[in-house]
Amino acid sequence: MARKLTAPLILVAAAWFAATGTAQAQTLQRLTVESFALSADTTQPQVEVPFHVIVTLRVRENVSEINNLQLPMLAQLELLGDERKTVSDPSGTRYQEVVTVVAHADGRIVIAPATLQAIDARDGKPKQWFTNDLPLSVHSSAARIANGVAVGLFAHVARIFAALLWLALVVGAVVLTLFLLRRRTPVAAPPAVPVSYQQAPVLQAPLLSEAERRRRQIEDALLVLRAERTRSAAVRVRAAIWRVIGAPEGETLADVLRRPGCGEGTLRDLLVALERSAFTYDEDLPRAIDDACAALERYSASLT
Amino acid sequence: MTIDRQPGDLHDALAKTIVGQENVLESLLLALLCNGHVLLEGPPGLAKTLACRSLAAALEGDFKRIQFTPDLLPSDIVGTRIFDQRESSFATVLGPIFANVVLADEINRAPAKVQSALLEAMQERQVTIGPESHALPDPFVVMATMNPLDSEGTYALPIAQMDRFLMKINVGYPTREEELQILDRFAMADTQPVRCVATLEDVRAWRAAAHAVHVDEKLKRYIVDLVAITRAAQSVSVKSAGGASLKAAELIDYGASPRATLALAFLARGRALLVGRDFALPDDVRAVAASALRHRIGFNYRLATENVSADAVIDAMIAAIPAP
Repeated sequence: MARKLTAPLILVAAAWFAATGTAQAQTLQRLTVESFALSADTTQPQVEVPFHVIVTLRVRENVSEINNLQLPMLAQLELLGDERKTVSDPSGTRYQEVVTVVAHADGRIVIAPATLQAIDARDGKPKQWFTNDLPLSVHSSAARIANGVAVGLFAHVARIFAALLWLALVVGAVVLTLFLLRRRTPVAAPPAVPVSYQQAPVLQAPLLSEAERRRRQIEDALLVLRAERTRSAAVRVRAAIWRVIGAPEGETLADVLRRPGCGEGTLRDLLVALERSAFTYDEDLPRAIDDACAALERYSASLT
Repeated sequence: MTIDRQPGDLHDALAKTIVGQENVLESLLLALLCNGHVLLEGPPGLAKTLACRSLAAALEGDFKRIQFTPDLLPSDIVGTRIFDQRESSFATVLGPIFANVVLADEINRAPAKVQSALLEAMQERQVTIGPESHALPDPFVVMATMNPLDSEGTYALPIAQMDRFLMKINVGYPTREEELQILDRFAMADTQPVRCVATLEDVRAWRAAAHAVHVDEKLKRYIVDLVAITRAAQSVSVKSAGGASLKAAELIDYGASPRATLALAFLARGRALLVGRDFALPDDVRAVAASALRHRIGFNYRLATENVSADAVIDAMIAAIPAP
């Protein structure tokens, strides 16, 4: 069932700097990361109803743009749009990226953390930050209606419970007041101690190896192509794999094959197979996708 | 459709005779597959004639060479009618254009009326002499050459006529290694071209196969974008010899015609077939783009005054359009 849930319409979206482990430290921005979070405007999206996945980053510096921020693979979702906003004020910069997506099947989805590579301004060392991951529960319309009824009942019970709780609190407060009034010797207040607010540390997960990161992305791509054997999926997977190997959009296959390490072995076979699946004629497409899936498997195996 | 002999076999046969000049060999084969003609610009002695002769020999086809001169007449090319006194009637004598592979050497040395006679025949694939129309043989490929060194006494081909060539190739000198190979290959004996690698019937079958090569919608849009940017290249910058940055649009009077769009699609199909694919890729389009656009863009005087090469402008425009 779980595998079936992962089937329909999967999108490999936006991996700006997929080869994150290879990002040069010299090109990284110097930032003091204050918060870095992944959220959505709903944790229970409905099938075929667009919703937003939001990446929010707060840094202490005033910067006009944020580089080396990598969005997660939005598997099982179709990307509809992407909007970025950077707002600077005297206290720093707030970067927000709102990705509009839609799910085509119900089930549970976990969106992996977004990552940011930068030089930590606190100690001058290059680091990688991760957001939280984001579990979503996608409902079909029918499930939504049923769920709505359940939610209504639950809300009714919750209101009664809240009223009882308020009553208990009021009674408790009255009892506490009476008890304090009956005390004869007042207790001197302790001297005020300055409170130092220590900033909560930003979640910093252990770095994955480049090969492992790449292998996971290849497996995601394989999942996509197996689930959606269409030209558009093939084109999206091709674009995602190009990003994984650091090839910019707009190059041709010949340009990509000239990149170091791309012109030989299983990676070359994979790139050629994906090119075929993106451009071949319709009758050849199923065979081309089979070949591309096999090439993805071989390349993934070569990374382990 | 199954074809026993492939276009690649013909390429290999030509490569046995011609050292280097890969772009000339490929352009000849593409012209053959796409039913078009090639304009070659390069200094003398770069095996243009040999390539043409080798192609005709490899195909068992007829080869004719026409040396264009200022006193050439249209009838010297297409043929004429002469009066036979014994028969007391006119007889038609067909000109050298009636061959499968025609080398029009130094086409810009003949006056406009001769050039137009040739170009009309290339376009119509038939020649009318007196009251009779004569179809040219099939396949029919014209390989015209222009020498960029001696411009005195030449008649420049108008853009409208150059547009009839499927592609224009700039022929360069061989590399040092290639020249050493040329010495080894030709010093000992007169090398004969490889004969009978494919038949004219094979060529017709290849043409049908090239016509059936799939061009995806994304690729069609890419082709249209490539041609469109030659007409509105405001966003493209090129460096002059002095290092100044110039807008490509300032160097161009008019861009490529829709015939360039068709040519790009034909050539991409042909190249795909040449490498054994039945679908075209962005690489195919990009590989042939400069050859298909080079002679179809009207550059203005600033190209010369700013000392910018036309190919540099074309390369910049091609690079400005991201491949799909």
